Amino acid sequence: MIRCLDLAKSYKHGHRQKTVFKDLNLEVAPGEKVGFLGRNGAGKTTLIKLIGGVEMPTKGKVVRDMSVSWPLGFGGGFQGSLTGYDNARFISRIYGHDYLAIKDFVEDFTELGSHLKMPVVTYSSGMRARLAFALSLAIEFDCYLIDEIILVGDHNFQRKCQYELFEKRADRALILASHSAELIRQCCERAMVLDKGVGVMYSDVGEALNVYSAL
Amino acid sequence: MASLASGWRIQRRVIGALMIRELLTRFGRENIGFLWVMVEPLLFGLLVGLLWRVARGPEEHGVTIIAFVVTGYLPLTLFRNAVNRSVRIFSVNASLMYHRQITIVDFVFVRFLIEMIGGMMAYLFVGVLLIYLDLFPIPYNVGWLIAGWVVYCAFTFSLCLVLAPLSEMSDVLEKIMPVTTYIAIPVCGTFNMVSWVTPGAQQFLLYSPLVNGMEMMRHGVFGPSVTTYYGFTVPIVGTMFLLALGFTLCRKVRRTLVVE
Repeated sequence: MIRCLDLAKSYKHGHRQKTVFKDLNLEVAPGEKVGFLGRNGAGKTTLIKLIGGVEMPTKGKVVRDMSVSWPLGFGGGFQGSLTGYDNARFISRIYGHDYLAIKDFVEDFTELGSHLKMPVVTYSSGMRARLAFALSLAIEFDCYLIDEIILVGDHNFQRKCQYELFEKRADRALILASHSAELIRQCCERAMVLDKGVGVMYSDVGEALNVYSAL
Repeated sequence: MASLASGWRIQRRVIGALMIRELLTRFGRENIGFLWVMVEPLLFGLLVGLLWRVARGPEEHGVTIIAFVVTGYLPLTLFRNAVNRSVRIFSVNASLMYHRQITIVDFVFVRFLIEMIGGMMAYLFVGVLLIYLDLFPIPYNVGWLIAGWVVYCAFTFSLCLVLAPLSEMSDVLEKIMPVTTYIAIPVCGTFNMVSWVTPGAQQFLLYSPLVNGMEMMRHGVFGPSVTTYYGFTVPIVGTMFLLALGFTLCRKVRRTLVVE
């Protein structure tokens, strides 16, 4: 179970303050698939970062009773100056996993071949997405946080993600932030629409999509 | 107890992984790789020692001048590097916040640890070399040398832990840091011993935890051939105070840290 209790986040810059959202409550049970909808800047990514513990809420708290992945976006969690292999080593070290198993999985999943010996800064965004995905799938989590990333890769990559995430790990919880109505409809059981600092949960995804498209 | 033990295991794993990552990004795998970590303090200690030897003659206040400079300069290099490296350490490493088991205190600790290990390796290397060349005494009491080193390091780390969050809160700190570490040389005990100054100045100097550590190290190296003054109260109180302040500031900064 993941619980967000009265969550609020605001950013300060100098004397300006911008509130992204406030009084946000959310519960995600094991195995549940939840979508976040909202226009650019509505706070989808921020909410995912708070759930993942990357940033801290200004108010309220996030309680995690299951293991939660780091947010899968383009860059997050990488050291750009290190190679793909070095990043895999780093991840295997901090999560206490066997490097060789992770290495095999990453090679197989990313199909990046000798690119893995190159620094990550030289990768295209699609290549990064492959690596990011491979690393987080190599460490098993109860809940995956995904920020738009599925849309980046090519067809072959999307098919692989589909298989690894929705078929092989169908029992895991999933939190997905996306603009794609089709994806949300296809994957999610519930969806939250974020607008003007307020998050409203709809148990009917179709309804959420209607609200979202009317924004 | 189980959670404490597993917390300790995770902590050790994270520190190890961060160390390797930091060494790789800083020194790479080319030529001597991470051994570079001891080259800078090594060269500083040796070359400044030689410079003083040429400028001031072989001895000062009854001790070999090269040995005197080396004992002072190696800890100073550690202090300066560690302090300068803690500036902006959080925003530079922000992408690591994606992994919840890593805390921002780990960054400060890891960078400090690398400087400390580099400094110790350099000390050992220079010491053995100079003892062989008969320019450095065989330490009178290794225990005091180590005790002094620990005192010096502990205080330096606690200072880093305060400066790191402060540098995120204010841009001014970053700009005044180099000049401050330079001005602070007299209170680091590098080129002056407490016994050389007037009693009034002695009392003032002994309020510096670094001077206490340095005097312990010098006592450990030179023994009774120099007069040294030191105590444990000032370094322990100073270090504890800065540690408490540093942890508090780190918590505060973490709450507002923005990660791309």
